[in-house]
Amino acid sequence: MVRPLFFSLVLGLVFVSLGCRRGEGERERGARLVLKYQPLWGPPEPFRALLADFEEAHPGVTLVTEALPNSSDLAHQFFLTSLEGGAADFDVLVADVVWVPEFARAGWIADLSEAFPPERLREEFLPGPVEAVVVDGRTYAVPWYLDVGVLYYRTDLVPRAPRTYAELERFALEAKAKVPGMQGFVWQGRQYEGLSCNVYEALWGHGGQALGEDGRVLLDTEAGREALGYLRGLLTRGVSPETVMGFGEEEARRVFQEGRAVFMRNWPYAWSEAQKEDSPIRGKVGMAPLPTVSGEPGFGTLGGYQLAVNASVSPERKKLAEKLIAHLTSPEANLVLAVHYARNPPRAAVYDDARLKQGSPFIASLREMVERARPRPVTPYYNLISDVLQSEFSAAVAGIRTPEEALGRAQKQVDHLMGEGR
Amino acid sequence: MSGPVRGSLERERRQAYWLVAPAVVVLAGVALYPILAAVWLSLHRFILVFGERRFVGLGNYAYLLGDARFWAALGNTAYFTAVAVTVELLLAVPLALLLQKSFPGRGLLRASVLVPWAIPTVVSARLWAWMFNPDYGLINRLLLGRDINWLGAPGYALHAAILVDVWKTTPFVALLVLAGLQGIPEDLYKAARVDGASPWRIFRSITLPLLKPALLLAVLFRSLDAFRVFDAIYVLTEGGPANTTETLSIYAYKTLMRSGDFGYGSTLSVATFLCVVVLAAVWLRLLGREERAR
Repeated sequence: MVRPLFFSLVLGLVFVSLGCRRGEGERERGARLVLKYQPLWGPPEPFRALLADFEEAHPGVTLVTEALPNSSDLAHQFFLTSLEGGAADFDVLVADVVWVPEFARAGWIADLSEAFPPERLREEFLPGPVEAVVVDGRTYAVPWYLDVGVLYYRTDLVPRAPRTYAELERFALEAKAKVPGMQGFVWQGRQYEGLSCNVYEALWGHGGQALGEDGRVLLDTEAGREALGYLRGLLTRGVSPETVMGFGEEEARRVFQEGRAVFMRNWPYAWSEAQKEDSPIRGKVGMAPLPTVSGEPGFGTLGGYQLAVNASVSPERKKLAEKLIAHLTSPEANLVLAVHYARNPPRAAVYDDARLKQGSPFIASLREMVERARPRPVTPYYNLISDVLQSEFSAAVAGIRTPEEALGRAQKQVDHLMGEGR
Repeated sequence: MSGPVRGSLERERRQAYWLVAPAVVVLAGVALYPILAAVWLSLHRFILVFGERRFVGLGNYAYLLGDARFWAALGNTAYFTAVAVTVELLLAVPLALLLQKSFPGRGLLRASVLVPWAIPTVVSARLWAWMFNPDYGLINRLLLGRDINWLGAPGYALHAAILVDVWKTTPFVALLVLAGLQGIPEDLYKAARVDGASPWRIFRSITLPLLKPALLLAVLFRSLDAFRVFDAIYVLTEGGPANTTETLSIYAYKTLMRSGDFGYGSTLSVATFLCVVVLAAVWLRLLGREERAR
């Protein structure tokens, strides 16, 4: 009999002390704010200092950071299961650029329009990222950092950056003929999300659009067929090696970095790798917008992460979470991420900051390309359909199906998901 | 028998039921409930993003019958299972015969043969993915000058996955066969040798027939396992290129976890489950006939 009594006494004490803590002081005191994010590669100190600044400005608030898997697919899966289950154990989360409409539609992330009105975002941020976070005129996330698809080329092997697809092909074949063992153009052709990015870039370069006027995902279009035909043609005409069908970002980068390819499509991270001390291509690499049919600068796929608030947390915690987002997406924070982690600022004004030009001239030089970056179809159903896109795009690139067949099949499956097939 | 004894027997029997009950409840909870839940879900249109959950009866199954991707995945799975299990058996029997012979270092060989089986599949699949790399991989280097795009080219990728599965599970099959071999009475061999039978004749007339139950068991285990293959292929190719390595499990997983389409994803899982049940029934019947014949 002694033991249960003792046990309940202890429990009682715990509750009483918890109650006291919550009761005393201001609302923020004792609050614990959890940020769920993917680790930023680089030195940990600058980011820690950024978080410490927030804690200092909000005494009594404890910030907790929880790392997500580095793979975007795995992180998405985590959110799919935990947000669907109404988990409230994290407040602020990072969302890949293609998740925001989906999470907003499902009611998993909070409407932030009051703290971050869409008009203000449009004034302060670049157009692409704003397009990705504003859903039906409401703000659901704030851009944190950006990524954009770009073309890398070997300055010692080609006269200048190609502006059209025809030029890229000609330069690649000429350089290949001169240097034995050289590959032409390497990109990401494996069946995964990176392939979709490459296909959309080709689609925009052929004058196509990802979404119709009515917001429908357009697949079976003239530009779509041309884009897939172009990518397949790169393989059949020997511009790209057959091995690109198994390439992700890193596979392409390794070949390029070893000096075995003339051109590469990749994200900006490959630049710093190429410029490292022991890199065989150090000083021989140029970077340019992707080519197009017409010769105007191409459109890179917009990548990157946004900060959103878990819709399951209490209004008080939401208020605090909004403050944290404001802090982490401030011009100062943009600058820290750009200089220390080579992440492109989503804020236009930061590109004019002398400290950026000084601290990270490469990131500053990307402004034009980042401004032209386009998001993949902005629709709540993107993740639902991306799996279909990946498999049919892959079939067309591998030459198993013609672009017509692949796009027709993709359209049929997508329509089924959208409920028109049943 | 007198009354009290029967009464105590009756009590004991009842007691036995009570003792078994918790296990039955747990089993029903962890095995039966998920199966029934999946079947129930498969009758719905239930896509997370839409936030709708609507009963559609057999609608998902009707779509499944016309779904080219499902049939392709079923074909891939069946091909993978048939080829992998056949090759594994063909390799495992000689391996088991070798392991049964006594020679110096046999213990070490037996242990080392099991190493591939002991390595977690995800780890070994990663390892193989590097070896298959067209530029740096060991495989192309061994094939001197050949430039085969193992994981990127349709036709090659599925066979690469089969190779990984064979490498990994042949030791397991060999172990099962070895157990079968050791169950064959030594007298039979002695008698055959006295009669002057050739080694091939001994193998055909004694070893093979008596090994049949063990072989069937190995086929049962392996084919059920191979039919549900997920991890190795997912790590190697994620189902690509162009879904040529997509098995039923991978299709179901992608539909459920990546797209959040719980209705159709469950339909795919149930279809996979039914295939496995049919396969198991066929093998068990063959096995049962074999047992009865002995």
